Amino acid sequence: MDHPKTLDLVKELVLRLLSAVDSPSSDAIDELPRALRFAHRLLSSRMAPSLAPDELVLAETIKRQLAACGRSSDALAFSDLRTKLSARSSAPGSIRNRWALLYLLKSLSDARRREPLLPSSTTTGLPALSLYPQPTHQSPLAAKKTLPPSCGILLVSKDPDNIREIALREYGDIVMDETEVSESALVRDILFVSQGIDGRYVRFDKVSDRYEPPDLLKLPRSMRTMVCKLSELGWLFRKVRGYITESMSCFPAEEVGTVGQAFCSALQDELSDYYKLLAVLESHSLNPIPTPGSVLGVTVNYLSLRRLAVWLAEPMVRMRLMAVLVDGCRSLRGGAMAGAIHERAQHGDPLVQEFMGCLLRRVCSPLFEMVRSWVLEGELEDTFAEFFIQGQAVKAESLWREGYQIQSAMLPSFISPALAQRILRTGKSINFLRACCEDNGWATAAAEAAAHVGTTTRRGGLVYGETNALEALVVEAAKRIDRHLMDVIHKRYRFKDHCLAIKRYLLLGQGDFVQYLMDIIGPELSEPANTISSFHLSGLLEMAIRASNAQYDDWDILDHLKVKMMEHGDGNRGWDVFSLEYDATVPLDTVFTASVMKKYLKIFNFLWKLKRVEHALIGIWKIMKPNSIISCIYTKEGAAVKAQFVAVLRRCQVLWNEMNHFVTNFQYYIMFEVLEVSWAHFSEEMDAAKDLDDLLAAHDKYLNSIVEKSLLGEQSQGLIRILFVLFDLILQLRTHAERWFESIFQLQLRGKSKLKTKLKEPGSYPDVGRKAIMQLAGEFLQRMGEDLDKIAKEYSVSLDAFISQLPMQQHVDLKFLLFRLDFTEFYSRLSPSK
Amino acid sequence: MPREIITIQVGQCGNQIGMEFWKQLCLEHGIGKDGLLEDFATQARPIPTSLSALSGSGSFYSYVTSLGIMKHEKRHTGGDRKDVFFYQADDQHYIPRALLMDLEPRVINGIQNSEYRNLYNHENIFVSDHGGGAGNNWASGYHQGEQVVDDIMDMVDREADGSDSLEGFVLCHSIAGGTGSGMGSYLLETLNDRYSKKLVQTYSVFPNQMETSDVVVQPYNSLLTLKRLTLNADCVVVLDNTALNRIAVERLHLSNPTFAQTNSLVSTVMSASTTTLRYPGYMNNDLVGLLASLIPTPRCHFLMTGYTPLTVERQVNMIRKTTVLDVMRRLLQAKNIMVSSYARTKEASQAKYISILNIIQGDVDPTQVHESLQRIRERKLVNFIEWGPASIQVALSRKSPYIQTTHRVSGLMLANHTSIRHLFSKCLGQYEKLRKKQAFLDNYRKFPMFADNDLSEFDESREVIESLVEEYKACESPDYIKWGMEEQGEASVAAALDSKLVM
Repeated sequence: MDHPKTLDLVKELVLRLLSAVDSPSSDAIDELPRALRFAHRLLSSRMAPSLAPDELVLAETIKRQLAACGRSSDALAFSDLRTKLSARSSAPGSIRNRWALLYLLKSLSDARRREPLLPSSTTTGLPALSLYPQPTHQSPLAAKKTLPPSCGILLVSKDPDNIREIALREYGDIVMDETEVSESALVRDILFVSQGIDGRYVRFDKVSDRYEPPDLLKLPRSMRTMVCKLSELGWLFRKVRGYITESMSCFPAEEVGTVGQAFCSALQDELSDYYKLLAVLESHSLNPIPTPGSVLGVTVNYLSLRRLAVWLAEPMVRMRLMAVLVDGCRSLRGGAMAGAIHERAQHGDPLVQEFMGCLLRRVCSPLFEMVRSWVLEGELEDTFAEFFIQGQAVKAESLWREGYQIQSAMLPSFISPALAQRILRTGKSINFLRACCEDNGWATAAAEAAAHVGTTTRRGGLVYGETNALEALVVEAAKRIDRHLMDVIHKRYRFKDHCLAIKRYLLLGQGDFVQYLMDIIGPELSEPANTISSFHLSGLLEMAIRASNAQYDDWDILDHLKVKMMEHGDGNRGWDVFSLEYDATVPLDTVFTASVMKKYLKIFNFLWKLKRVEHALIGIWKIMKPNSIISCIYTKEGAAVKAQFVAVLRRCQVLWNEMNHFVTNFQYYIMFEVLEVSWAHFSEEMDAAKDLDDLLAAHDKYLNSIVEKSLLGEQSQGLIRILFVLFDLILQLRTHAERWFESIFQLQLRGKSKLKTKLKEPGSYPDVGRKAIMQLAGEFLQRMGEDLDKIAKEYSVSLDAFISQLPMQQHVDLKFLLFRLDFTEFYSRLSPSK
Repeated sequence: MPREIITIQVGQCGNQIGMEFWKQLCLEHGIGKDGLLEDFATQARPIPTSLSALSGSGSFYSYVTSLGIMKHEKRHTGGDRKDVFFYQADDQHYIPRALLMDLEPRVINGIQNSEYRNLYNHENIFVSDHGGGAGNNWASGYHQGEQVVDDIMDMVDREADGSDSLEGFVLCHSIAGGTGSGMGSYLLETLNDRYSKKLVQTYSVFPNQMETSDVVVQPYNSLLTLKRLTLNADCVVVLDNTALNRIAVERLHLSNPTFAQTNSLVSTVMSASTTTLRYPGYMNNDLVGLLASLIPTPRCHFLMTGYTPLTVERQVNMIRKTTVLDVMRRLLQAKNIMVSSYARTKEASQAKYISILNIIQGDVDPTQVHESLQRIRERKLVNFIEWGPASIQVALSRKSPYIQTTHRVSGLMLANHTSIRHLFSKCLGQYEKLRKKQAFLDNYRKFPMFADNDLSEFDESREVIESLVEEYKACESPDYIKWGMEEQGEASVAAALDSKLVM
């Protein structure tokens, strides 16, 4: 249209047309711009003929018309020409819009036939183009006489008097057609518009995005308002239908999903009702609207705009609702869509409520079906990711924790989060049983649940609005499946036995086992870490099992117990890297995950260290036990040395007592206040646990309470550091003690043998060595005393720090520890004096 | 690799309480009178072969599975360790690690004719050839012990070699008679010498000092034995016949308690003090660990015991409600303690606990322990030493599933208490009286140790006991750490101590 060539062509055509009408005159030049503008407007208008563009039909019509006019030869010529034209269609320069051409020709011919009736002095529009050169300077009368024969003329000829009147009426009709519209036409238009089709007058205006009668149309204001109001329906309908077509056309794509599909089909059904109504209305519209004057045509089923408004009031509401939904749901899918619709269904108007209820029942049915199959079969029938539960492929051990998640965006608001959790867990339990426990018993449990709840479990039996039924089903299924899962976990996989085994072996509850392990593995662990073979340690572990009461434990369980060597660096001893681990298998690794086992490892290392310290202390005691030779003082003279010896020995004993008191009470604290108490709680909660989540929570609580109370938590890092200093001092004492007492033992033996020989053979050896021994002993005891003092001092500093920090800790239980350590108020009596 | 403990019972009294002890252990472990497991205690044996044997024939598999079922049942009933005190013969019957010794056959014959005759290993019974006994003479017992040391030590060595990791010896004897005291003393010295790394614990019955004894030389015997108990034992559990009688009369309302009845008290204490060894738990699973905390200073290793609630065989006492607090509180009451207190009031108030271990048996909620301790501390029911930290240790132990008791909870206290020095003072006093009169010394002079009227052994013993009493007394003061360093002139004590080495 904007092409300059085209513009030129149009201009040329208009010029020719104008020049053809009036012989060259100044008028024509003046007229040109106006005519040109009009032509442009015509060409750019989108007015389309209300005919289907069918070339053949049109050609037939033209032929018939020619034949009817008695111009059969012309008709033949036309058909011949047309054939030639279409035969050339593939040739270059051929005419593409043959139909349009034909239509134009036909219209021109039709127009020409009517032309004489039009006033020649048309102020608007282009002058009519006649096929025959018009005689110029014709008088109006003469012009009338030259009219080609037509029906109107025939009529005129029959009743010449009436000619003027008839012509006038016809003229009036035509003008009315153009400028003033009859109500019935408007009604028809509205009916069209209501189906989203442009009417004759009322058309869709893209710019203002609504249907409206053209401004040119002369309408009474009331009628215009009415039309505007009614045509809203069309606008709404367009929206709804647009959505449906759009959704349907891209259906298999993920954006729509089954819920969207259900929504569309529900809308479609709603629309077909609407179509039925329109059909009825259309038939009514055929009856003429009685005018105030007419008496004859009083029919009941006529349709005026007002009647139409009444008829369409309810569909309008529905349509509006649908449009609102369509707008609201355009970008939503699945559960989110159902949720959005549900939110709009909370309406006080029963009509709305009922309508929305129906719609939701349709929309939610795929969703409910998903819930049903998830809860009873554990199947995630969700190809379009519409369900509020989403699965992802994970390893068996993390199936429970990470395998399925609730997509809160997809969770419709009519399902409460608690219920959703429950739904999630039930299906998860089934999947867990299936994937991790290789168990099929859940099927019976699910069937039982289904049977118990009854009818609502058929496929598609769950309906929106019956939230109770859904809840009942979920609750029943959850109850049974959870119980079954708990049964499987407890009976088949012996959860408690495993927990007990962990308590016995990793938490050192099986004292005799730990003791033997310490006995046989201890010397090994003093070696540098990189020289120790874990294979060898495994052998020692097995020995410890066989030697202790652990041997009566089930080998199924003992097989899980493994030696674990941690990463070791330079200078690490075996003690630093050795630990035991309990190797949990599917499905129990859901409980004993890697991170959980890490915590156990941490606890084990701590307890093992504590045991090692205890072991060291006992070792010291054994060296200086009551009846040992060391406890007796060998010397007859040398009272100074003797006193020195007694003093050092007693200091050593007192220090040992203090250390032992600390370690023993710490152990009692760990046993009573930490392990046993936590276990007692856990045991209770374990028995009370109704589902795996409860069980996991209980276990986590148990483990965390142990970690926290054994000072392994974040908050107690300062404390544990001091504790380890104390432990190291004790181990130091042990090393020292071994050396000291070995020397003392040697001294004693030498003295003893001397004494013996002296007694046996008095005087045979002069008492030479004696003084030397005494001196040696004196020096040795001196050194030992110094070392001892050093350790004792460091120890008491650290212990003070430890005890003074204890009350600062937040845990209640540490009070118990302080209470035990300071049972006789020994330390609290000591501290004020400092 | 159990920490085996070998029990040696010497003399009439030693064998009697020993026998009661084994009866009790058999009952608790479900072992019949012939050493075979009772049906109700049928317990899986340790899996007989290593795992590699599992790859054997199918029949072996079925054997293992059937065993597995038994094991499973067992795990809920037993959980005990029998191998600390017993070992299994080839025919699977359990044999006590016990050595029975006497210089006269009466008691041992009695045992051999009793229902339990097949329990003991007959090789482990030693009766002196002449069967004449020691005539209540310590010197005779000691001397005879010396004579038969090879035979006896053969038996000991054999038992010791039969153990994987021997923990130590338990000696049951009385200190008043001849065999238990004399031969026991000799044994203590020998064991100390030969098994110096092993523990030696004794259950020593102290004579009844309220009534005149038929053994007039009892003070001599006691003194001489006490010296060995001080120097050669690691731990002495004092069982005071005076107190046992008093308890039988006052607590059990027996007008005239028999030996059997008091002995059953002893066996109860003995078995209770070993429960943590026999039912392994988190702590106190070996004898050394048990004793180490009780005996911080080596010389003070005499322990008192208390037990509640007490019942004697077939005598059902009134049933009381027993809670941990009840039990712990009662254990601290003097009337339940099996050592008589001879202290005067003023001294008694000075007496202090060096250490306490309560072994609570039965169905106990661990959370109760803390509450009970708190209550005891609030009420200031215990006086502890002031020179170091101390506390009441509480060990929880299982009860044997095979014995029905009317009490839910029972408790044993092992305590190291300084008031025990009054018992030794009493012994010393009686000795002094007798010694002043030079009475009955001739009986002793007959034997080599006292030949040529060399009574230095008596004096040395007296000095050792005196220094022991002094040490206990010193423990009552907060300055114990410094005690003994000023008084350096006590060469005589040192000499006494030396004599042990000279021996």
